[in-house]
Amino acid sequence: MAAVTSKTILCVDMDAFFASVEQQTNPKLRGKPIAVIGSGGRTVVTTRSYEARKYGVKTGMNVYEAKRLCPHIIFVIGDNEKYTHTCRELTKIYSQFTPDFEIYSVDEAFLDLTTTHHLFGGSESIGKSIKQAIKDKFGINCTVGIGPDILLAKLASDLGKPDGIKWIKPEDVESDLKDLPVKELWGIGSKIADRLALLGIKTCEELGRAPSSLLRNKFGIYGETLKAMGMGICNRPIQTKPEDAKSIGHSMTLPKDIWERKEIKAYLLMLSEMVGRRARKHRYMGRTIALVIRYTDFETFSKQGTVSDFTNDTHVIYEKALKMLDGIKLKDKIRLLGVCLSSLINDPHQIPLVEEERKRKSILQAMDYVNDKYGEFKLTWGSYIMQERDAGVISPSWKPSGVKSVNVK
Amino acid sequence: MKLSVSKDEIQEKLSNIQNIVEKRNTMPILSHFFLDAGKKGSYIVATDLETAIKEPIEMKVEKEGKLCIPARKLFEIVREIEGELLFESVDEQWLKVKAGTSDFRLACLPPSEFPAWPLMEDVEEMTIDAGMLMEMIEKTIYSAGESDTRYTLNGLLFHTRPQDTAITVVGTDGHRLALIVKQMESEIKNEKKIIVPRKAVSELRRFLSKDDEKVKIVIGKNHLLFRVADVEFLTRLIEGTYPNYEHVIPQGNEKKVLMKRETFTKALRRVSVMSRERANAVRFDFDESASGGNLIISSSNPDIGEAREEVAVDYKGDKLSMGFNARYLLDSLGVMSSENIVLELQDPLSPVLMREEGNEDYRCVVMPMRI
Repeated sequence: MAAVTSKTILCVDMDAFFASVEQQTNPKLRGKPIAVIGSGGRTVVTTRSYEARKYGVKTGMNVYEAKRLCPHIIFVIGDNEKYTHTCRELTKIYSQFTPDFEIYSVDEAFLDLTTTHHLFGGSESIGKSIKQAIKDKFGINCTVGIGPDILLAKLASDLGKPDGIKWIKPEDVESDLKDLPVKELWGIGSKIADRLALLGIKTCEELGRAPSSLLRNKFGIYGETLKAMGMGICNRPIQTKPEDAKSIGHSMTLPKDIWERKEIKAYLLMLSEMVGRRARKHRYMGRTIALVIRYTDFETFSKQGTVSDFTNDTHVIYEKALKMLDGIKLKDKIRLLGVCLSSLINDPHQIPLVEEERKRKSILQAMDYVNDKYGEFKLTWGSYIMQERDAGVISPSWKPSGVKSVNVK
Repeated sequence: MKLSVSKDEIQEKLSNIQNIVEKRNTMPILSHFFLDAGKKGSYIVATDLETAIKEPIEMKVEKEGKLCIPARKLFEIVREIEGELLFESVDEQWLKVKAGTSDFRLACLPPSEFPAWPLMEDVEEMTIDAGMLMEMIEKTIYSAGESDTRYTLNGLLFHTRPQDTAITVVGTDGHRLALIVKQMESEIKNEKKIIVPRKAVSELRRFLSKDDEKVKIVIGKNHLLFRVADVEFLTRLIEGTYPNYEHVIPQGNEKKVLMKRETFTKALRRVSVMSRERANAVRFDFDESASGGNLIISSSNPDIGEAREEVAVDYKGDKLSMGFNARYLLDSLGVMSSENIVLELQDPLSPVLMREEGNEDYRCVVMPMRI
């Protein structure tokens, strides 16, 4: 029995988003294989145009691998502002059709059309209008998927790529999922697919029919979710408001592997400032501070500790991260560093008793004010200035509002 | 070693040291206590290297001896046993414990491994009533920090000034502060500021049950020793500079509010039920001309709901609204005993002074929250 639900969800998934935006803003790139990369020497391909995909260039490859597969590929350094600006503008298009939409990531959005589709001549017609509006305004393509829940809407958009529109109607769910390999489903990666294959489950139909007890046994509580997914059922509602943050973190692959304590400290300060600043901006404070380290050989681990009082003070975060670093015997050079603040509460605005701390708070406020006005790191600490900083490409989980709205260069 | 001891005696003495002996297994010797059984008198010692206790114990010693005995295990055994216990050491590794029909063999450590009692040099001394010391601790300890990175805040400041023969004890966690001053006799010639770890002070309380007992305080360079009856309680001092508390205490707050302690406490407790998830933030609105109560305490949490309570207080002045962490106020109210209390306010962002009516010796300072 397929999922019977009265909802109508539409998924808009931009086609090769970063690459398309670049091709649109620079006509010389159109029709050519291009890849969007970060500015550092050790960056990887974040998005490649459809022309480059033909050569087998994949996301996550480094520039040398990409070049070997496609010698005339053009590398474009990502321009985050273009993408976030486009994403913000796209929300204006979505809001013409429904107030209930979720910007899932910088290039994916879900629209709940359940209560509005009849106003615009049906969901398929809305899909066409959105595609046309995006094409007219930005000159880029997207794929629209429509389904009774977000899992099927996302699946429809994956199946409809590129530049397509596909509708999985409730009555077609069973037949559409029948022979579909499980890893086509959103949320089932190759690792879970491999584990399912060991149980003899390859298609969605097999997954939907698998006994709950078997799946529970292998996957715990997630087994139930997997079984429902096999039947095309997904209960995750659309999040129209930004979620309350659970953690605020930043990590970065360094321009070169480092070992010197002085250098590590400077990056830690920078990451702590990014975390503290974002927490202050969105009025959060946290007690748990985590330090993430990735060695040259990609071995990654994290360490976390608790501070006595909720904080969003850059220096408290930095001191704690540094203390944890002191407790680690580095076995190799460091490739990536990360700092994360969690156990968050809303900043209650407690004023400190001691004058020096009130001053420290005022200094941070003043710095935030300047940096809000003139851009990130315009006013900063001397020890940070020594560092070169490459612009990475933004995380796909970027959102236009809330705590995941990270300011980018 | 061969001796007998009553269950009540050893249970009491062992319970006194349970919080001092090490629970984690970092240094095995610290989870043991040292027993020195002598015909003229016996005592036990326990330490966590920060704090040490030496207390006499009543025993009938047949054969003298010394041994390090696991404190937790023996305590568990003693609790289960009735009547008198007989101890007999086999060697420096084993102790036999007999009681009634039970027989235990307990693995022990040699006495030579136990950390030496620190030597104190260049000491100065003073004497204080146990009851007074207890009051000073109770009224300040709650506001001291706990595992704060500003480590001096994790202790209480004992400040003596010879010129006014007074001792001041201060606790603060950086958001609120409690201070108590008591007159006393001391032979200390110079001004002294020492910071005593919170845990030590907290443990010391169990030896201060008799109000008029004299407590001798011996101040050394790095250590502080309290002597109550025959018990010696020694603690390492926290090094560093304590914040200048005198700067923090508001001197000329103009707006004074007089209110019934109990009424205010109960109202505050009720309203703060709705704000526990939001750092106990409550809002105070003072209004001289209000028809009902001229203090309105309120709190709201969009996910849970709201609370509001009117309290009749004696307030003269302009309308004033400010925010507080209710816990900070309630902690202080909890150790006050006068019928009325006084709040001294200035403006929504300045420190507030709270004290008992007619008592200038005990003062609590609370920093407001921005609303």
